Amino acid sequence: MKRHTLIAAIMLALTVGMLAAAGQDIAPETSKVERKNRAPVSKEVLHVSLPKATERTLSNGLTVLVLEDHRLPFISLQYNISAAGPIFEPSDLPGLASVTAQMLREGTKTKTSLQIAEEIARLGAAISASSGYGSSVTVISASGLSDNFEQWFTLTNDLLLNPSFPADELNRLKQRMKTQLRQQRASPGFLSNEMFSRAVYGSHPAAVVSSTVASIDAMTPEALAKWHRERYAPQNAILGITGDVRASELVPKLEKWLADWKKTELKEVLPPNPQIVPARRVLLVDRPNSVQTSVMLGNIAIDRRDPDFIPVSIMNHVLGGGSAARLFLNLREEKGYTYGVYSSVTALKYPGPWRAYGDVRTEVTDGAITEFFREFQRIRDERVPESELEDSKRSQVASFALSLESPNELLGYAIIRKIYGFPADYWDTYPAKIMAVTAADIQRVARKYINPDNIQVVAVGDVSKIKPVMEKYGPVEVYDAEGKKVGN
Amino acid sequence: MKTTKHIWAALLVGLLVLPAALAQTVRFTEHKLKNGLRVILSEDHSAPTYSIVVTYNVGSRDERQGRTGFAHLFEHMMFQGSENVGKGEHFIIIANNGGGMNGNTTSDRTVYFETLPANQLDLGLFLEADRMRSLAINQSNLDNQRTTVQEERRQRYDNQPYGRSFETLLATTYDNFAYKHSTIGSMEDLNAATVKDVAEFFRRYYAPNNAVLSMAGDFKSDEVLSKIEKYFGSVPSQPPPPAPDMAEPKQTAERRKTLDDPLAQLTRIDIAYKIPPGNTPDWYALAVLGDVLSTGQSSRLYQKLVREKQVALQANAGAMERPGPSLFIATLMVTPGKDPAEVEKLFYEEVERLKSETVTDAEMEKVRMSVRRGEVEQLQGTLYRAQALGENAVFYNDPDVINTSSEKIKKVTKQDIQKVARTYLTEANRTVVVTTPKPRAEGVR
Repeated sequence: MKRHTLIAAIMLALTVGMLAAAGQDIAPETSKVERKNRAPVSKEVLHVSLPKATERTLSNGLTVLVLEDHRLPFISLQYNISAAGPIFEPSDLPGLASVTAQMLREGTKTKTSLQIAEEIARLGAAISASSGYGSSVTVISASGLSDNFEQWFTLTNDLLLNPSFPADELNRLKQRMKTQLRQQRASPGFLSNEMFSRAVYGSHPAAVVSSTVASIDAMTPEALAKWHRERYAPQNAILGITGDVRASELVPKLEKWLADWKKTELKEVLPPNPQIVPARRVLLVDRPNSVQTSVMLGNIAIDRRDPDFIPVSIMNHVLGGGSAARLFLNLREEKGYTYGVYSSVTALKYPGPWRAYGDVRTEVTDGAITEFFREFQRIRDERVPESELEDSKRSQVASFALSLESPNELLGYAIIRKIYGFPADYWDTYPAKIMAVTAADIQRVARKYINPDNIQVVAVGDVSKIKPVMEKYGPVEVYDAEGKKVGN
Repeated sequence: MKTTKHIWAALLVGLLVLPAALAQTVRFTEHKLKNGLRVILSEDHSAPTYSIVVTYNVGSRDERQGRTGFAHLFEHMMFQGSENVGKGEHFIIIANNGGGMNGNTTSDRTVYFETLPANQLDLGLFLEADRMRSLAINQSNLDNQRTTVQEERRQRYDNQPYGRSFETLLATTYDNFAYKHSTIGSMEDLNAATVKDVAEFFRRYYAPNNAVLSMAGDFKSDEVLSKIEKYFGSVPSQPPPPAPDMAEPKQTAERRKTLDDPLAQLTRIDIAYKIPPGNTPDWYALAVLGDVLSTGQSSRLYQKLVREKQVALQANAGAMERPGPSLFIATLMVTPGKDPAEVEKLFYEEVERLKSETVTDAEMEKVRMSVRRGEVEQLQGTLYRAQALGENAVFYNDPDVINTSSEKIKKVTKQDIQKVARTYLTEANRTVVVTTPKPRAEGVR
């Protein structure tokens, strides 16, 4: 009962925490991070081997991964359907993949929206479907108790295979979506992500982060049914299941339960890769009345299969991968500019960006951008000290142990391995590959991917206050909160 | 002194995998050090990890006028170093050893926690003990964290739509200062905090006899107990802090406020009713009532306001859990073009329906299934368990509420729900805050 979403949301509203979920200033600079090295630390890194999933391919081409975990009478699963994500949408229908996924719950050949909702609740199950912008996949997730698994799994498969996309439910969803379009423009986080995605992805479909009024109006039950019929193909999908389930008993049943899901000819063909944006730009989004500036800086870097993935991950970890990283310690712990600053790398089937980001109070926007660039320059110019590098590597290897608490996280590892076609021992050798990264590797990838000459700088805030100080960081373009260009 | 709440079944001890059918209860033992530190241990070898949580019995309810936000500001000071830990070193040590950590503050308690690989057992104990014993209190750390907390306020409240709605709701609903003010506090009060305040707060509230240490995960209870004695045993106790006055007068007429929000795009209605504290029979009935109203797409508010009438984009309602006078809160996000008064009226119609007719068997069954699911899910991670044990000890002096709350929810009847709807969800007992988007000045700069 205490985990129920609403109560959780209320408690969150009441809770104030230590960390976020990440010039002309007068902040004191006397407060320096200090290491005393007196805490008792076991030098031995706890090496864990991740449990291996049982893998099968059904006759319709569906890949099945089963990770048995009998600790609790609970089962979680996901269908991960490639070639069915927004990057394959027709350009005039942004949101089609997401709307199709959301509509799976709104009616099947034999059930109404309300009947589906009632049955999910009656079974104590959770079933959801989504297709995030920039993604190549649609994901259907379900979970529930193991003693009524067959019932809720049958319901999940009914939604997957027999959606009816009723027009009246679609119209209701469309009305809500139009309201959400308006609501999301109030959020500085949405605005910075939207502008950053446009800036780095350019003409690549991952630049799209939202539907539009026009695309919502254009969506019909027929368009959704066509997308579903053509894109939800078993040969491109993975079914991952973890929990209190026996692979040997389950797989034969799956052949029967999923017999109606027929193989097709569809193959995943990715659009041309996004390219590194060649020159620095400063893109301001005006949000009058803002008391902070939300900044995001970065550019296109690598895809998930890139051999540089591991060194780039470590480099990111040193730069901004948490509360022990350089950006956090500098901009928050020493300067007091922000509640949190972080960096991240998006690496999927196609190259995605690295980015550094945070919300800083308006008055220190200039000082904060200066410090971002100082940290970018430092990780390029100076080799990471051996002790800092060792710490970062240890941190990543040791954190594997924590994933053993979460069956879903373990399943996620198995699915990633399969999606990217990594070898069977990929996660077994992963720690060794991390430990082999050198300071020279870090410097090499920092110089390759973090290039001050072409970094895209996005800032969402009160343009009347920040434009004068932002002009020194590059040619400025100003947009309004609707995303329309309104000046230079 | 050692008291054992649950005797471990001998056959379970040392098993790597708990048989599923027996794993629905959180098993734990309780102990108390001579300095008053209460210790709760829940041994579980299903993964090579453990979580350690220290829950201090202090929150924003203990703040005085002119020092709102102080309990939370103090929480930040706890990461600024102590005798054997440098400023910011806590973050670094935990991260470097693959762990997770954080702290947070509510009106009623302040918690600090770490999740670590099992071979770093000493590390978590050392870090928590060192700051309980010897916090580094100085002006530069205070100034630095004051600005960080002020940024937190800007990021999470002042720069967000509806950032002030909840604060206004609390201030309007409550009469007693303890819950009337927000935990994040005001900028002015944060500016007023002094090093002397910090030192005094530390002495008064951060003593072992005002804290609960709870741990869950892969350790041997005997071994960890002797380590707890070693690290925490010499931290001196203090006179018990004064109990805050939580008395809240009965509300006799509806209260109402309107708030202009230049960052908002839609009108939002927040409605609060005063209700009894958590872990009371009426509170459990109100929690079930909240489920019937708004958990899942089959719930009444979703079906009526969001799906059928399409007057609200979101409609949520539920009982907040507080150890003092609590609230039942509904939040309605109004669809553009719809009349907020109409949305509010539809919500009250649903409330009246709960009074005039009992809920259905199907609705009660949904709640029971959701409780069963929750019982299993709470056993998945060590951190949730350790936190719930500590919080229940601080709130109700009974860590076993982690287990008994499910039973109490299952015992709620349809008549109980009808009774609490009639008793608490009344016009005179409610406070309404309507947040309206304030049109912005046009023009581009």
